Amino acid sequence: MILQALVEYYERKAADPDTALAPPGFEAKDIPFIIVINDNGQYRQLNDTRCGEGKKKRAQTFLVPQGVKKTSGVAANLLWDTAEYVLGVDTRGKPDRVAEQHAAFLERLNELPAGDPAISAIRAFLGNDPIAALQSSPLWPEILESNPLLSFQLSGDNAPIFMRPAIVQTLRHTAPEDDAVLGLCLVSGDTGPIERLHAAIKGVWGAQTSGANIVSFNQRAFESYGKEQKQGENAPVGKQAAFAYTTALNHLLGKDSNQRVQVGDASCVFWAEKPCLLEDDFAAYFKESPKDDPDYNVRAVKNLYQSIQQGHATVSDQNTRFYVLGLAPNAARIAIRFWLHGSVAEFSAHIVQHFDDLTIDHAPYEKPYLPLFRLLTSIAAQGKADNIPPNLGGDTLRSILSGLPYPATLLQAAVRRIRAEQNVPYARAALIKACINRKTRFDHPHDPAYQEELKVSLDLENKHIGYRLGRLFAALEKIQEDAHDRSLNASIRDRFYGAASSTPVTVFPNLMKLSGHHLDKLGKLNEGRRVNMDKWLTKIIGGMDGEQAFPSQLCIEDQGRFAIGYYHQRQAFYSKSTSTESTTGEPA
Amino acid sequence: MTTFHLEVAADFACFTRPEMKVERVSYDIITPSAVRAVFESILWKPAIRWQPERIEVLAPIRWSSIRRNEIANKISVASVQSAMNKGSGLLGAYIEDERQQRAGLLLRDVRYRLTARLEMTNRAGPDDNLQKFSEMFRRRADKGQCINQPYLGCREFACAFRLATEDAHPIDRTALPDYDQRQLGFGGGRPLGWMLYDMNYQHPDSPCPRFFNPWIENGVVTIPDANSTEVRG
Repeated sequence: MILQALVEYYERKAADPDTALAPPGFEAKDIPFIIVINDNGQYRQLNDTRCGEGKKKRAQTFLVPQGVKKTSGVAANLLWDTAEYVLGVDTRGKPDRVAEQHAAFLERLNELPAGDPAISAIRAFLGNDPIAALQSSPLWPEILESNPLLSFQLSGDNAPIFMRPAIVQTLRHTAPEDDAVLGLCLVSGDTGPIERLHAAIKGVWGAQTSGANIVSFNQRAFESYGKEQKQGENAPVGKQAAFAYTTALNHLLGKDSNQRVQVGDASCVFWAEKPCLLEDDFAAYFKESPKDDPDYNVRAVKNLYQSIQQGHATVSDQNTRFYVLGLAPNAARIAIRFWLHGSVAEFSAHIVQHFDDLTIDHAPYEKPYLPLFRLLTSIAAQGKADNIPPNLGGDTLRSILSGLPYPATLLQAAVRRIRAEQNVPYARAALIKACINRKTRFDHPHDPAYQEELKVSLDLENKHIGYRLGRLFAALEKIQEDAHDRSLNASIRDRFYGAASSTPVTVFPNLMKLSGHHLDKLGKLNEGRRVNMDKWLTKIIGGMDGEQAFPSQLCIEDQGRFAIGYYHQRQAFYSKSTSTESTTGEPA
Repeated sequence: MTTFHLEVAADFACFTRPEMKVERVSYDIITPSAVRAVFESILWKPAIRWQPERIEVLAPIRWSSIRRNEIANKISVASVQSAMNKGSGLLGAYIEDERQQRAGLLLRDVRYRLTARLEMTNRAGPDDNLQKFSEMFRRRADKGQCINQPYLGCREFACAFRLATEDAHPIDRTALPDYDQRQLGFGGGRPLGWMLYDMNYQHPDSPCPRFFNPWIENGVVTIPDANSTEVRG
């Protein structure tokens, strides 16, 4: 199904006239150096097609005849290849091999009609000591050093030789090799020649740079049914289908592609059956905004909300399929981390639900919509992307798009991070709120009381013990802070948060006793505030259910509620205090 | 009565796609060849053949991605034969030299109700008839007897099984969330793409795969017969 969907995407793109997708027999390649020669084969100049600075130099992309799969043997491409093949110049100290390579390159030129002026120009140039001519160019040391891709251009043309119409025509009509085995293609269901070695997929983060394969049988243990050394026959895929899916996937994973997102260590690509808003903006919902456009994902999410609210989700959205494929590297192979498919309407609704669940009270300078990357780094040690547990990004994306509860790991990791760092920042609070709400909604699917258990901001009616204890802790901390006029180095949060959250009974009686002293001290500074804080305390404690006010343990979910209660109460305190003198809001 | 229904349930299942065999990706539902294998693990003789007829998916389709250490090479037949002839030999494989990590995208918490039909083959003896084998199968499946533990796709994913009757109480899948219902084909069916039907062993030295195009509707997939035109290969 995966390969089939990719082939359909290729066909959709190929039918589109202004597409960048390569037709059969061609591929897109970055060629940094072009040797310009005149019709007689004399060297004119060496063009550098790269633009950009330093490490970010990118060569221009051309549509070249499809290259052969490079293995440890000698095999040359047609009209373009590395300096060793094209010029026969030894860059790595292997003169015999380089001689073979150059001979192979010249051999391939025989495939083109001999009378063509461009080909005879190339032959004349290469036959006439090309290295001496090129040494005059200032770029020569770089070519020697890095063995880049080279190709040719006639001085009268404005495009390289492989783009000349006569050559392109010849290539389009070359007969395919006849030694391919016939079989049933499992993508299209038609009988035809089977591809032995599939083209490499480049662009998966973490895989080897020369490309990796999804369909590969590169060790004996992976072969079955006696198909030893006959790689492709272990999974028969026709040549046309193999070309289509590899080209489509390379296009989606390309450097400029807007249809890929990096989720943890998995490169995720997505596409739809037809062009739609979701396809254009999907990356924006989950990627970090680029530095020069910080509102990139906020805008995209607002657009999505508007389109859902105004009922722009049309009938075609219900029927258009949307596909998301997550790829993870494993040296020379690619593992499929997740594969999701559904209708555009479903996915849009689930994404909106995800952002709804994440909405929580926040400071005005924080963004309203958090990208997935921020959520994942908030649960990683030291906020580093390397410390995100593997698979978590993919599992989270899967649960977002299918509307399921988030992975349990997410809630546990968030609670653990809060204990380790003793603070509840915006991203973690949003994440915990979403985890808990989604879980309770999933467990009670048709019960309206459980649709949104934790609200966006302070919920004075919530009697849940974890929530109330969190609020109580926040209130106690505020009393201590105010009593010492915010000059403390370590508050009760730094000392007692972890214990208060997991084993309240060990800590809260002591804290209540201390709060009495803090209130007295606060009273000496500002009697009005003391009265206010006292009222808050009474209201919070009074709302707690049950005879035993302080439980001996809180389970992970309740610790999550504790964190949310704490966060809501802090936000409530700090949002209402507009000046240092005023009372900190009236408790309801 | 030659058609039987088995309910199978397991924590994991992996019906590996042939094209993603190294880094395993499972099909969405059980393949006909795996259905046949479940029935064959309870009873099989050369005289009979199991023809899968129907698959009902009882649990929502859930995925899990894991990574396992496996090895790169097979122990060669030649070395085994020489060890047999000599009487002793070294046939071990050292994991440190051969380690390959392979990822797998598996199905989780699967439950199916499988329907298959018993047929005689041309290797049936004079005493063999359908009734005899039907009774044997019914007795064995009732008792939970099997030749080897039935498995779902890969041997390590063993399953529990139970004989079910035609009118057994159906599991209510309409309580599932909308997304899961649509994945199972409720509210208009959906195609599942070309799926492996079984292997064709006519030429034993080069088995080739056969494919068909299943359609899931309301959680049910009807499997065509082995000699029907819907099965290619």
